[in-house]
Amino acid sequence: MSTAAASSRKRRRSAEQLAAQGRDISVSEFFAKNRHLLGFDNPRKALLTTVKEAVDNSLDACEEAGILPEIWVQIESLGGNRYRVSVQDNGPGILKKQIPLVFGKLLYGSKFHRLRMSRGQQGIGISAAGMYGMLTTGRPVKIISKTGPRRPAHYYEIQIDTRRNKPEILNGRGQGVDIPPGEKGRQYMEQHGIHWEDVPHGTRVTIELEARHQRGRGSVEEYLEQTAIANPHVTIHYTDPDGQQRTIPRSAEVLPPEPKEIKPHPYGVELGMLSTMLKQSREQTLSQFLTRSFSRVSQSVAKKICETAGLSTRARPGRIGRHEAERLYQAIQQTRIQAPATDCLAPIGEQLLLKGLHHVVPGQFYAAHTRPPAVYRGNPFQIEVALAYGGAAPTRKVSRELLEELLQESDARTLRQFLIHTFNGIGADGAERILKASGLGVRKVPAKLRKAEIDKLHQAMQHVNPDEGQTMTLIRYANRVPLQFQQAACAITQAVMNVNWRSYGLSHSRGSLPAGPVTVVVHVASVWVPFTSESKEAIAPYPEILRELRLALQAVGRKLGMYLRRRARVKQQEDRRNLFLRYLDEVATAVSILDNTDKDHLYQLLLEVAKRKTAEADMKLDRSGRLVGPEEELQDESVLIVEDRPELWITRSSNGQQAHGETSETED
Amino acid sequence: MAKRTSKKSNGTARLSKQDRHTLAQLTELAHSVVRAAERKRDPHLDIPARSLSNVRFNKSRRIIEMGRNTNRRHLFNLNQAKSYMQTLLVAAGCKQLIDQGKTTSIRGLYYMLKHTIKGTKEETFDDQSECDPVIEDLEVLVRCLREELHLYAQKKGDMVGPLVLVDNGDEIDCSRMGSGGYGIPSIVEPERIQFKKCTADFVLHVEKDTVWQRFNEDKFWKKHNCILTHGGGQPPRGVRRLLYRLHHELGLPIYCLLDNDPWGYYIYSVIKQGSINLAFESQRMAVPDARYLGLRSKDFRECELSDSVKIALTDTDRKRARQIAQYPWFAHKKKWQKEIQQLLENDFKLEVEALISKDISYVTEVYVPERIAAGDFLD
Repeated sequence: MSTAAASSRKRRRSAEQLAAQGRDISVSEFFAKNRHLLGFDNPRKALLTTVKEAVDNSLDACEEAGILPEIWVQIESLGGNRYRVSVQDNGPGILKKQIPLVFGKLLYGSKFHRLRMSRGQQGIGISAAGMYGMLTTGRPVKIISKTGPRRPAHYYEIQIDTRRNKPEILNGRGQGVDIPPGEKGRQYMEQHGIHWEDVPHGTRVTIELEARHQRGRGSVEEYLEQTAIANPHVTIHYTDPDGQQRTIPRSAEVLPPEPKEIKPHPYGVELGMLSTMLKQSREQTLSQFLTRSFSRVSQSVAKKICETAGLSTRARPGRIGRHEAERLYQAIQQTRIQAPATDCLAPIGEQLLLKGLHHVVPGQFYAAHTRPPAVYRGNPFQIEVALAYGGAAPTRKVSRELLEELLQESDARTLRQFLIHTFNGIGADGAERILKASGLGVRKVPAKLRKAEIDKLHQAMQHVNPDEGQTMTLIRYANRVPLQFQQAACAITQAVMNVNWRSYGLSHSRGSLPAGPVTVVVHVASVWVPFTSESKEAIAPYPEILRELRLALQAVGRKLGMYLRRRARVKQQEDRRNLFLRYLDEVATAVSILDNTDKDHLYQLLLEVAKRKTAEADMKLDRSGRLVGPEEELQDESVLIVEDRPELWITRSSNGQQAHGETSETED
Repeated sequence: MAKRTSKKSNGTARLSKQDRHTLAQLTELAHSVVRAAERKRDPHLDIPARSLSNVRFNKSRRIIEMGRNTNRRHLFNLNQAKSYMQTLLVAAGCKQLIDQGKTTSIRGLYYMLKHTIKGTKEETFDDQSECDPVIEDLEVLVRCLREELHLYAQKKGDMVGPLVLVDNGDEIDCSRMGSGGYGIPSIVEPERIQFKKCTADFVLHVEKDTVWQRFNEDKFWKKHNCILTHGGGQPPRGVRRLLYRLHHELGLPIYCLLDNDPWGYYIYSVIKQGSINLAFESQRMAVPDARYLGLRSKDFRECELSDSVKIALTDTDRKRARQIAQYPWFAHKKKWQKEIQQLLENDFKLEVEALISKDISYVTEVYVPERIAAGDFLD
């Protein structure tokens, strides 16, 4: 019907006219229009993404070169909504001719074609950040790189030609400038206003962009903090737009082991990819092609595949047709092939993860678990989970000054929104309680608070313990890079919500994150992390990945459960003691009325007995009724407990101290 | 220390022999706590069990005696700590009463001891129902009667009849008490009450006030020359002790007119053998020769009562009736077994008031005189 209608009308364009409009689309052009795909949806996120891409590249470079990374991040406000972001590392530096390509061409990278665990993958990130800066401010990206103490520093100002996806060098007549080492170079830098932290080698990239600086959730500060947790070997220096400097020193002096590069596993290859590989192969025979391009394919396995596919092992790979390729693909799926080697992964490790988490998140209980490597679609991956329980809520750590700044920066319409969005995990419930305690209206505009009102709010934040209403803080990592957005779309979040946390002592309703003062860190390490989009914000829910996530979460959950049960037991003992203490005075008084005994003396005597009695009870049994000895405590190295319970005895004595919670873990 | 001497100086400290005995018992209780504490032991109280399992029926004396079972109450036990503290508190309270030569009701004691525990919001006693069992515990623990602890229960129970007695120095003629009768006090010990003159032939104890009023109005006691008492349901100790004294000192036989239900049976059992709860008191209260006059299960038929006076038995009634039939002091009495069996077969109970349905004075003019004359009663 529609065709009839269309044909009856006058044709607007002829086929020739239409054909004339078609032309190549450059990647740069495509991404310039679709910046949200790369994480530049809004000015606030643009700032973060820029910092993030630069830092990720720096860390990758340092680790590959075997250097303990030290990163300088500086954000300067240039007035209005313009910011200048500079990130410098102490990495190996970049060769002169490569600099323009790395920073000025989209989809240029060293990491795309290999299978190896690294932060960056596609080679889009930093050049996209440069492009975004150029689009919004018109200013070029500035790069200085130095490969050794005696080598000159290469200085470039680069723009991307979006139509051709090619770098355009602006300084030194299109050649860049070499700044000599030593005093002379330093003078030159000063004259030209170039910043350079004095390191023998490294790279500094400076991008000017339109952005918005805001603290709280999804901020640069949060990113850096989370990076420090997953990368305990990194030192980060951060200068915020107000000129405040902060350093997060490294807590580990050892680089993670270098991940090995692996060939793809046959199970992970799709038909189209297989055809391309066959066409491009320079091997003489099919058997050679299979054994040399894939991992875990031996002569005999190759033979078996060929037999199943009905192809000769001696066939030339380049001559394999489409139908034969399909047969080969089916044959691969049918043949049993060993899982890929997993030494290509470098997990953080339980110890370092604990250390990192303890360093950044205050708490009372920490546990970590690293799963053995597993495989999805032929790609090895490994899951690590760490958990911190207890500690002060983020609202209680804020100083009066910082609160005032946060209030100024916030674009939340109401105080309630401000609290929910600025502080991790306090939830609507916690926000409401804080506001109730402060006596301020829920609908107050954060930026318009008066001094006295800020004081009230600050006081309320200090006093209200939002523990009960608090939801779990989930920190997600892929290859040591924090994932700060699209939490709900991520496989990690799904896995966390599907674990039954109630059996581990947390309150948890279906379809949401569990409640309580808990921080969970999940790290997915893989040679190829399956992100749901190029902006690398969420991990796709492959069943194999979900399964491993569940197992790892359950492992730390069990440890948490044990701790919480133990704590409950200790609490019970304390209640017991308190109960006795309460009555001792009454008993002593009654007895002294009856037979004139000295009341205080009797009270002391009874107190002694009470201590002995409850000390005994403390040691006796755990929840499952097994005998518990103090020597069992903390044998598990993946657990860290920080005890800070207040002293409860009125009078202290040596055995009173022992009576305290020195109970221990038992496996359940 | 100072507290106590001051009390002694302003209180009336004239102690009777009984008081000195009670005080010694209470002091011993305190000593045991101090001794345990000095040896770093968990202090505890061994309280004789107040349950059916811990009473023995003494066949020769025909009363209930308390066994040797005790419940140990520890200070350092979560479930017992509070009641331990309360027990000592009650003991201290009683000692203060004795020292001052005062008596108080159990409710009074509850208020005397109730206070907020230092440093908490918890009360020593939440309500009186928490305090009363503790008092009973103390009674069995120190083997002293409530009255000896200078405590008395709420007074209930009245008496009329040809009896002259002296109560606290006042001479009272129980035949001239009008329609109200002489209220039986809770302490009727010989120190308090002395019998002066009695011409009665027997004692008729009825269950409650309403029935007692009927008998008093009809001047039943005058006609039949008896003492008429009631105990307001389960008779309090004062009433039981008075019955005991009337029986033992004046040699009057006791007849009981109670409802025909398990509750009535048990009242009779308490008067006759003593209560299970306070079995140690029964030697001073039980009247093994008391007789059960009625109502009987057979009365519905024999007195030709109408169906409308029946009250259906509940499940608890049936259970209780079977329980009572099992009591050792009923177990070997064929008549009683038959009586209870009959009740269960009837599947209804009867109140004494049911007899009024025949005629307002049927119970006083026909029922009781006939039964006494015929000697038709249960032992």
